[in-house]
Amino acid sequence: MENIRLAASAIRANKMRSFLTMLGMIIGISSVIAIVSLGDTMRGVVANEYKNVGLGLAYVYINSQNDYYGESELFTQDEADRLKEAMGDSISYVGFNQSTRTDLKAGRRSSTVYVTGLAENPTAMKNPSIIYGRMLNDGDVQKKRHHMVLQKETAVNMFGTENAVGQTVEVKLNDNMEEFLVVGVYQNTDSALMKALQGGSMETVYVPESILVSEDSMMWSLYMIISDVSQMDMMKERIISFLSRTKHVERETIIMSSASEEMGMIDSMLGSLSAVVGAIAAISLVVGGIGIMNIMLVSVTERTREIGIRKALGAKTRDILIQFLVEAAMISAAGGMIGTALGISVVAIGGLAFGITTVVKLQVIVVAVAFSAMVGLGFGLYPARKAAKADPVIALRYE
Amino acid sequence: MKEIIKIENLNKVYDTGAIQVHALRGVNLSVYEGEYVAIMGQSGSGKSTLMNILGCMDRQFSGLYELDGISISEQSENQLSSIRNKKIGFVFQAFQLIPRTSALKNVEIPMIYAGMKREERHERAKRLLEKVGLGERIYHMPNELSGGQKQRVAIARALANSPAIILADEPTGNLDTRASHEIMEFFTELNREGATVIVVTHEEDIAACTKRIIRFQDGQIIQDERVVKEEC
Repeated sequence: MENIRLAASAIRANKMRSFLTMLGMIIGISSVIAIVSLGDTMRGVVANEYKNVGLGLAYVYINSQNDYYGESELFTQDEADRLKEAMGDSISYVGFNQSTRTDLKAGRRSSTVYVTGLAENPTAMKNPSIIYGRMLNDGDVQKKRHHMVLQKETAVNMFGTENAVGQTVEVKLNDNMEEFLVVGVYQNTDSALMKALQGGSMETVYVPESILVSEDSMMWSLYMIISDVSQMDMMKERIISFLSRTKHVERETIIMSSASEEMGMIDSMLGSLSAVVGAIAAISLVVGGIGIMNIMLVSVTERTREIGIRKALGAKTRDILIQFLVEAAMISAAGGMIGTALGISVVAIGGLAFGITTVVKLQVIVVAVAFSAMVGLGFGLYPARKAAKADPVIALRYE
Repeated sequence: MKEIIKIENLNKVYDTGAIQVHALRGVNLSVYEGEYVAIMGQSGSGKSTLMNILGCMDRQFSGLYELDGISISEQSENQLSSIRNKKIGFVFQAFQLIPRTSALKNVEIPMIYAGMKREERHERAKRLLEKVGLGERIYHMPNELSGGQKQRVAIARALANSPAIILADEPTGNLDTRASHEIMEFFTELNREGATVIVVTHEEDIAACTKRIIRFQDGQIIQDERVVKEEC
């Protein structure tokens, strides 16, 4: 306790010097926290995005062995239906994920959007937040109704109002203009960062996939939603076996991947990336520690007489050692705390700018501050030992 | 009378590699409780060396030194720290106050290392400063005090743990005549109250305030006389 008070007064006595010494720790700690938190935030964003898409999302395609793609490699609507039937409740959605960039027209206004097709049980694939009207339903898909769900911005653009339900839109599909009835309007809830990553603000409207895909269309790949994500590996096995049997192709040529696998890959990639960059930033902590050692050595030399006085008056070797160690640890811990505050602020301001929820893990802060105190103790040890070993007779004579 | 300091055949050799300097040669000395002693000698006479040994800051000697019954050469460095803390009150020529630290805090230092509680040592330090006439200046920094005042803070600090001896090394060396007399009066007063005081000096009129003068030359005691004290 007495040592802490003593160290505090020594630090106060040399405010500017103490601050400059701390600066190394401040910069080191704040950059480590900012970088690791940025990594964690990115992982959070990715995880959230995959949760929006649904971790049950999986797709499958068949590789051709001779660069020729025919009936055995491509999928028809009929095959998609058969797969769904065979898998029963284990798969909640099977579709082709057809999407095309095209023009919408209403009166004299027009707009370029992505028109995305949804198959039966559409909300399993996409479940946007509907603000007016309703989402597409199975009836729309089965009866090939020309119904459409607009994004809010598209509705405002085309009709000057968010509530465009009941309006008619002309869509250019396969060189024909087809008329659609707006049944719902949704709001895009993606974060600013996600929108940026998706490359701009292209709006998406949803229509029944049965309109985009004709009976004899051959499609590259099948998209499906696995009902129970924990059964993903088993379902992959079943689906590959089924397709191999029904399409008479080698199992090895069937490629199947899932959102959960992709997310795991991206997550571990981001994780190791932030660990590596964080480790590089941690080097600056060592540099900060050397700064502390340097200043403590100067301080010990300057205060040789004080050390001599203290020893003459009864300070034991340990008392002096602790006094200087506490001082070094306090400088670095104070630097660590200021650095933590700075790092968190940087992350928070960054998060605010991008409109994302930032993640600052408690472990990161604890590890960073503990590490800085350890650096302080480690690099303070040599100067403190030097001080503690001083001979009072010589130290008292020191000018 | 209790024998506070007992020195028998004390020898000290400084070995600087090429030359050996025989600083103390077979010194024998006894100081009893309540004595008021001056140790005199030219520089190089060995009195500073004796001072360091008496102050338990140097245990590299041969011969016997017992302080208050404790054989000093057998103590570890940490034990010596503890002995200095409890048994010896130091007063130095250069005051040796810790800079940027109030008079009060300076007086508290020996009590901190003795493990005294905060309130208790605070109270005691205040009382000691009042005793040396600095009750009004307890929060002053050393650089705000005159030489005489600094030395009075040092005396208060020397008394902090009620030591067995007060060891003053040229306590008036940095002071003018008036302040010197003031300080010596304090020592005389302390001695009158029963304290054992040893003053190292090279000034005859300072030594004249004491009751026993020991003269050093070439590492040996050449004279040890009790004096009839005049008023200082």
